Amino acid sequence: MQAVRDGDLGGLAVLFERHHRSLFNYFVHVNGNRDLSEDLVQDVFFRMLKYRKSYQPERSFTAWMYQIARNAHVDSIGKRKFEVEIGDREFASTNMMDENLKRKQEVALLKRAMARLPLEKRELLVLSRYQNLKYEEIAGILGCDIGAVKVRVYRAVRALGQIYFELAGEKAS
Amino acid sequence: MNCEQARTQFVDYWRGTLEDSVGEFRTHLGSCERCRAEAEELKDLWGTLGTLPEEDPSLGMRVRFYDALRTWRQQEAQRRQPLWWLRHPAFQAACAVLILAIGIGTGYVVRGRDSVEVSQLRGEVYNMRQLVALSLMQQQSASDRLRGVNFAYRVEQSDPQVLSALLTTVNHDPSVNVRLAAVDALRNFNDSPVGRKGVVQALAKQDSPLVQIAILDQIVELHEKSAVSDIQFLLSGQNLNPDVRQRAQWALKQLQ
Repeated sequence: MQAVRDGDLGGLAVLFERHHRSLFNYFVHVNGNRDLSEDLVQDVFFRMLKYRKSYQPERSFTAWMYQIARNAHVDSIGKRKFEVEIGDREFASTNMMDENLKRKQEVALLKRAMARLPLEKRELLVLSRYQNLKYEEIAGILGCDIGAVKVRVYRAVRALGQIYFELAGEKAS
Repeated sequence: MNCEQARTQFVDYWRGTLEDSVGEFRTHLGSCERCRAEAEELKDLWGTLGTLPEEDPSLGMRVRFYDALRTWRQQEAQRRQPLWWLRHPAFQAACAVLILAIGIGTGYVVRGRDSVEVSQLRGEVYNMRQLVALSLMQQQSASDRLRGVNFAYRVEQSDPQVLSALLTTVNHDPSVNVRLAAVDALRNFNDSPVGRKGVVQALAKQDSPLVQIAILDQIVELHEKSAVSDIQFLLSGQNLNPDVRQRAQWALKQLQ
């Protein structure tokens, strides 16, 4: 990123190859819309170019990138409502007896639970679990200390658990 | 360690990143049934969360990104060229508007100044003609005075000084030719009551038949009925030239 900041625009292609997939997954898990997520990934990289002078090499690049991603996502919220791509269709099959199908069922249930989670909790889980960011990086993105990040992640997991088990209970009954 | 403190360690426990409080945390879990149950239940969920399959973006996304990057680099290259803004359409349009405005402004200023200068020059030329006419009419030489009378044609009709000089010439100039030319020049002052009156009054002062006939013709031309008494006075003269008498009688008929 330092090279990009210093005027090497070709360096952005390297960054794209390295990070576009994880960024795409971040957006898909946060907003549930593939097309919008692709647009937002592109938006993030061009925001990086636009604001490249604001990048500080001593800070984590990943934290900076996700900070831009969060802003891009917030800007897009006004334009579209959250869309859940995981429909009930995925739960329609009744004879999911083997392990593979059971696993698929679990994943689908978890995605539904995630979709019902408030945005800030969902985003926190995406950053800490899917993207495996360090506490320091998340703290940098959210602008809080590490202790607060740990507490918030715990609360997010507990909230997800409540929704998940609730959905599982509905399904079982 | 109480339950609240233990819960802040849950995430580290799930992640496997517990540090120095390992002992205390595990002791608490061992003694607190509620925390242990919650930690284990959510640990499974945390595990499942981490195994969610990653999604792949479409191939079109990469194509769109590289297209956009190429466009950006071209624009950036243009911007880096020295004085790139000179070629920017917005700058060129602004320059065109500015030059037009300057042109119009300059035109107004110059035209305003010109019209002032032109009127000044006109005034000077007029004064010059007037001066030449007046000074020539006072010359000794008859031909100079004649030229002076001719200059009077070029002076505006309303000029009282020139009119006065012409009437003086008609009444007092020793040369018949100059007086005749002055009578002709007085036609320019036909619209002026002073000029018309001067022509009529000049009739009695003339002794040259040529000038008398010229004045009579001009009175008829002017339809100056106030001249009837002057013509009758002229006709009462015993030594009147027969041609003048005939012309005077004809003039009286025309005026009646």
